[in-house]
Amino acid sequence: MLRWLLPVAIALLLGAAVILGRAALPGDPAVTAALERILLWHSLMPRFATALICGAALGLSGVLFQQVLRNPIADASTLGIASGAQLALTVATVHAPALIALSRELTALAGGLATVAIVLALSWRQKLDPVTVVLSGMVISLIAAALSATVILAKGEYVLSLFIWGAGSLNQQSWDAPLMLAPRLLLGAIAAALLLRPLTLLTLDDDNARSLGLALPAMRLLVLLVAVWLAASVTAEVGIIGFVGLAAPVIARAAGARRLRDLLIAAPFAGAILLSVTDSAVQLLGSATADLAPTGAATALLGGPLLLWMARQLRHTIPPRTIGGRHTIARLGHPWVAVLAGGVLLALFCAIALILGPGPDGWSIATGPLLADLMPFRAPRIVVAATAGAMLAAAGTLMQRLTGNPLAGPEVLGVSAGAGLGLALMLLFAPVVGPVQMLLGAASGSLAVALIMLGVAARPGYGPTRLLLAGIAMGALCMAVVSTMLAQGDMRSYALLLWLSGSTNRAGPIEAWTGLAACLFLVLPLFLFSRWLDVLPLGATVSRAVGLPQTTSRLAPAGFAALLTGTASLMIGPLSLIGLVGPHLARLSGFAHGRHQLAAAIVFGAALMVLADWLSRAVVFPYQVPVGLFAALIGGPYLIWLLSRGAERNG
Amino acid sequence: MTQPAAPTRRTLLALAAAAAAASPASGAAGSGVGGTRVATVDWAVLETLLALGITPVAATELLQFREVAVEPAVPASVADLGLRGTVNFEMLQLVRPELIFISNFYASSAERLGLIAPVESFTIYAQGVAPFSAAEAMTLAIGRRLGAEAAAQRFVAETKAEFAGLRGRIAALGGRPVIPINLGDARHFRVFGADSMFGEVLARLGVANAWTQATSYSAMAPVGLEALARIPEAWIVVIPPVPEDATRILGRSAFWNALPNVVAGRVLTLEPVNPFGALPAARRFARLLVAAIERYAGAARG
Repeated sequence: MLRWLLPVAIALLLGAAVILGRAALPGDPAVTAALERILLWHSLMPRFATALICGAALGLSGVLFQQVLRNPIADASTLGIASGAQLALTVATVHAPALIALSRELTALAGGLATVAIVLALSWRQKLDPVTVVLSGMVISLIAAALSATVILAKGEYVLSLFIWGAGSLNQQSWDAPLMLAPRLLLGAIAAALLLRPLTLLTLDDDNARSLGLALPAMRLLVLLVAVWLAASVTAEVGIIGFVGLAAPVIARAAGARRLRDLLIAAPFAGAILLSVTDSAVQLLGSATADLAPTGAATALLGGPLLLWMARQLRHTIPPRTIGGRHTIARLGHPWVAVLAGGVLLALFCAIALILGPGPDGWSIATGPLLADLMPFRAPRIVVAATAGAMLAAAGTLMQRLTGNPLAGPEVLGVSAGAGLGLALMLLFAPVVGPVQMLLGAASGSLAVALIMLGVAARPGYGPTRLLLAGIAMGALCMAVVSTMLAQGDMRSYALLLWLSGSTNRAGPIEAWTGLAACLFLVLPLFLFSRWLDVLPLGATVSRAVGLPQTTSRLAPAGFAALLTGTASLMIGPLSLIGLVGPHLARLSGFAHGRHQLAAAIVFGAALMVLADWLSRAVVFPYQVPVGLFAALIGGPYLIWLLSRGAERNG
Repeated sequence: MTQPAAPTRRTLLALAAAAAAASPASGAAGSGVGGTRVATVDWAVLETLLALGITPVAATELLQFREVAVEPAVPASVADLGLRGTVNFEMLQLVRPELIFISNFYASSAERLGLIAPVESFTIYAQGVAPFSAAEAMTLAIGRRLGAEAAAQRFVAETKAEFAGLRGRIAALGGRPVIPINLGDARHFRVFGADSMFGEVLARLGVANAWTQATSYSAMAPVGLEALARIPEAWIVVIPPVPEDATRILGRSAFWNALPNVVAGRVLTLEPVNPFGALPAARRFARLLVAAIERYAGAARG
């Protein structure tokens, strides 16, 4: 336990520095003395306590999730619970304020439970396979985030609080939050202690556990409920504090906690220290009136790199599973014919999007002069949607082939978020930000992340699960910077919010030609790599044996993937999921060879985006929904459906 | 609950605003002065047009405008162009405007809008621009452009006169500084500094802005509530919308309840005002502020 002494000392010292280092309030000493006292006892102290309690609660919920789902990367963020709770609160704030007035906690809990139920239902047939669970969680999370962004955009001023809250802030004015959370943490801890034995047995196979007389489903459900409740309560009180639930158990294990009993004590402890140190740091580094960044964003800034580093050292406590590739999918007999059929479908979608649409007097089929009037607005956005979809799908195919990981994609590996980071830095530091600077920022951001992820993937023994873990960490790290800027509430945050939601609305000829040119110069050359794409997923040994240039064969596709992602994310935002869905659809439809999968993914990606774009401008006319949202709403469920269907058919 | 009362109050306000807007318009030729079909994507332009008695053919986000900006009332004939962030170009094309007014926020859409009709842009909110004089200049420019010059001049003069009157009324009320804020939640607020429209209105009313630190570009968010301890003497002026649970949580906050301003009841919650508006919003804010302070003074005396 000696090794805990230093972190505890640091947390206490920083906390003391925050309290003692405060600038004195100006004004009449008689007035300020009383206020200073209140600030100390009703603001700073409860804030310190809230940080400790929230950190501990998140740490505990993280261990519980990971144990009950036998999933080392489960946590409130990867399961989509935080986003689900956020969505519930956002929607309730705007459309059912009475619910919020009744209970924030219950609203958040309802959102969290609904999310976890959906996620588990989706992966039920896969026997809650960790990767399928997290994949479903992230898909749901992206959909929820897109919906939240839409509500924020649609309501403008009204939801200033959601910017703040969405990024998680620990500011307190009373002991309400600690007093409300402490008993919940205590109850959670007691429940965990009581469930220690069954929890330990849950590490075993279902069969073994059952033979030991464990009522397995009921037990898991109970633990799950406790974990969701802890996470949702924290979310309702202070907002999304990402990563603590994921990082705390990792830190605890690294500090020597091996048995579950030790972990259940050490992880909340680690979470409390992590959050406390982070919260003190944002206060010390900020100004007298404002923190440097929302604490929730800062935990990801600290927790992200920590987790990236930890992921290397972490031994699998649970036997690694192979993902994808477990079931064989029937190959198509005539892949090019199928690609051609897809192309015909794409053309059909484009034609419908061009002529059919709502107007002030209802739906109409535009022909003649009306079509000529609408053409300058409809044609470019269709082209932009199609090319962006094609680019993302191509990037996703490259990443899946490069990493040998069927779950890889620009969104999942953090490459899309990297584009956001680049864009945020550009907005922050460049004197003038035009389209060229935006493209430059987004492209270099995604390139940086893609190279890092490639470096991570290339490490010996770096399994698909760990790569996914690193990708999530990277994405959260980048999005933390984006959230921090969003919380500033100025014009730069508006620009980022627009980017986040992804809109083809303003697309004109320049954007359309850029999209077409990018497809020409970035997508077509990919077919030159098609042999590499067939060999790369088989691993370094095989690719060396068949004489592939080791560095070039990885760097070139990675560079292309990054450029494609950066360009596409500027057009339709980072949330679309097309980069994950397009290649998946192609693979599950039976396109096995690199070039076939690539071509099919491009066609599917383009068609999905055109459909999404058409819907985004039709459903609530004259108001328009961000196209990224619609892509995620169409693509996400379909992807999950295909995944489960594939498993059923192929065993 | 305030819920049932709100529509009535709002309706009354809208009627009052419509009456106020109608008087300067009587000189101009009503909707479509000089027959120009004008559309706008910017709210500050929209309220200026309506105040001059000019009904645009289309404008953005009318549902929200009626909630947040409230006055002037928007006639039902105005077509809704959807969100300010994603202007519906197709809708705009189909209502066939002859002129489109935009602001610097829409610079990136100017080219697209130019395909529909000639575009003219105004800048009120930008780094280093004083919004009040910019709004005055815009009002006059719109008047000149649409042949409603007299109405525009009259409106600017009326604004000056109204401010002079309000300045006299508020001078009699003690001269405390004011901090105009939006509550983000029960722990954070957004503050409007000297470079904001609210800040400029305060200056024109002869009232000090209690927030003296720099604000980046009109407003700064989020600021922790503790910052209010620095200004115990000020009026805390809350501009809605106020999040549903913020009032409830604040009521229970020891810190909030210990603030000298709160103890003395110097917290004024106004009706909603668009913080990024033009002269009509500035007048609305000034009028609501002075009336609220007078009500407080009246209650204190009575």
